[in-house]
Amino acid sequence: MNFELDAVFIEDSERETALARRIAAAVQDRAPIENVADGRVPARAIAGADSFSAGKRRMVVMRRRTPFVMSCPAGSARFACCGYLVMVLASNCPMDCSYCFLQEFVADNPGFQIYSNFADAFEELERIAHRAPDRHFRIGTGELADSLAFDTMTGLSRELIAYFAEREKLTLELKTKTDEIGNLLDSDPRGRVLVSWTLSPEKVWRTSEHRTAPPAARIDAARRVLEAGYRVAFHFDPVIAYVDAEREYAELLDHLFEVIAPEKIAFFSIGGLRMTPGLRAAARRRWPRDPMLLDEHVLADDGRLRTFTPLRLKLYRIIADRFERAGVKVPGYLCMEAASVHERVFGAAPASPATIGERLARERERF
Amino acid sequence: MLWRRRAGMNGESDLAIHGATPGENIDESVRALACARHLPQPHLDRWLAMNERSRAAFLEIAQTLRLRTGQITAALELLEEISVRDATDCADILAAPEIARIRLHAGSAPARARELIETLRARRFPRLRETSTRLAGAIRELRLPRGISVVLPRELRSDVLTITVEVARVAELDGAIEALAARRAAIARIIEMLGGSE
Repeated sequence: MNFELDAVFIEDSERETALARRIAAAVQDRAPIENVADGRVPARAIAGADSFSAGKRRMVVMRRRTPFVMSCPAGSARFACCGYLVMVLASNCPMDCSYCFLQEFVADNPGFQIYSNFADAFEELERIAHRAPDRHFRIGTGELADSLAFDTMTGLSRELIAYFAEREKLTLELKTKTDEIGNLLDSDPRGRVLVSWTLSPEKVWRTSEHRTAPPAARIDAARRVLEAGYRVAFHFDPVIAYVDAEREYAELLDHLFEVIAPEKIAFFSIGGLRMTPGLRAAARRRWPRDPMLLDEHVLADDGRLRTFTPLRLKLYRIIADRFERAGVKVPGYLCMEAASVHERVFGAAPASPATIGERLARERERF
Repeated sequence: MLWRRRAGMNGESDLAIHGATPGENIDESVRALACARHLPQPHLDRWLAMNERSRAAFLEIAQTLRLRTGQITAALELLEEISVRDATDCADILAAPEIARIRLHAGSAPARARELIETLRARRFPRLRETSTRLAGAIRELRLPRGISVVLPRELRSDVLTITVEVARVAELDGAIEALAARRAAIARIIEMLGGSE
């Protein structure tokens, strides 16, 4: 995808890394490249009306100084979680969804950071796998950034796929809202890489998912990677309860199943639009005309604004029922919801996060 | 006062202007009211950012109902959110029959001010209001005896129904258990409704 960049900063110590060289060659005349002693400085918020937007256009190639692999930051004891491990290879995202939690989460460091020492993450993964040799893990790179948004420029996916293709008990999840799959199509994932797309109805895409690929393009990209040997999954997250949502989410699923047979889908997840008051204020400030930020949300017990419960759960059920009616058992889970909600939607109490994580990682055995 | 209210043919009111241009007069009056009510600047900015027709319409209702500061801020927020979501402007929202009725009917200004906020809230959260009303009706239909209450979560923020039993004697406990058991199916239905089932 062709995103705008105002500037690229490369940390002095990282100039000779393969990633920095690739990025420098790809940027060429599109943006000025500046070498800096410490990438954390240009990554910080700069004064201005919308420092978050400005941050998205300031790419910083730098060394990550903290661990790459962590438990999903959305996890909490109050929720039935999916056991997802997050591998942070970048922070912030060139796309700009009005509801994105990064508007609050990286507000102080909005520069689009890409970590040149990403191979250090592999050592962390080896340690994790060594500590629990019988377990399978699902590790994703799409939590603090889109997994593929700049892949043409960075080529990171190729190196990740090469690593995970050799690891029997580690599954990589590349999570994206793009159709930037070029590098994936000429790599062999050996069934150990899963590509997932966040899907929303066309109306949500038009109003709220700025600079992302249209839903139909994402579904078509999924079809192509499926044919290339990848597993695919879909995240209906955030589900937004706008007036026509019930009908349009059902239509979205109908279209998905027309293109991709349900039995080919590794799993799906559902999550409602949820915003802390701080995130909502930031989002409303940046997107004052976005109607999707104004569904009928109330302050829930976890301190987040969520669509009031019966309506939210009704929408979850519409999605879950559509999968149920497809006639094959596609595993599904809810993101940031209590066990009681999981039980209402799927008709059974959720397993422990570790068990769910294991099950989702092992889903390849179904194919 | 630069503004004088007059009744229109259809019972609605509009504003007559004396002297300066309408926009200037409206803004002067808005600022004067904001100053008198110690309205925080962000809310005043929100008011002044409305189109002229909407600024005037809200000024008129704020003066007529003698809205307090908290009511002005709540109304401004609700109006802004409704106007964005429904792609309309605030003047049109305030011209709706249910709001015109509040503006014009007799009754104390504070009572009508509260009714205005409630009406705007109902329009901002129509499905929440409708679902809450339906659930409250289902609870009323239980016809619970004294000492037992079934309470919905505030603003339907969770899926947890609270059932309270107040007893002082064992016989009352037996009676309450029996009453709840007799209503088990109806209560189960309310729990299902709370979870999004029709």
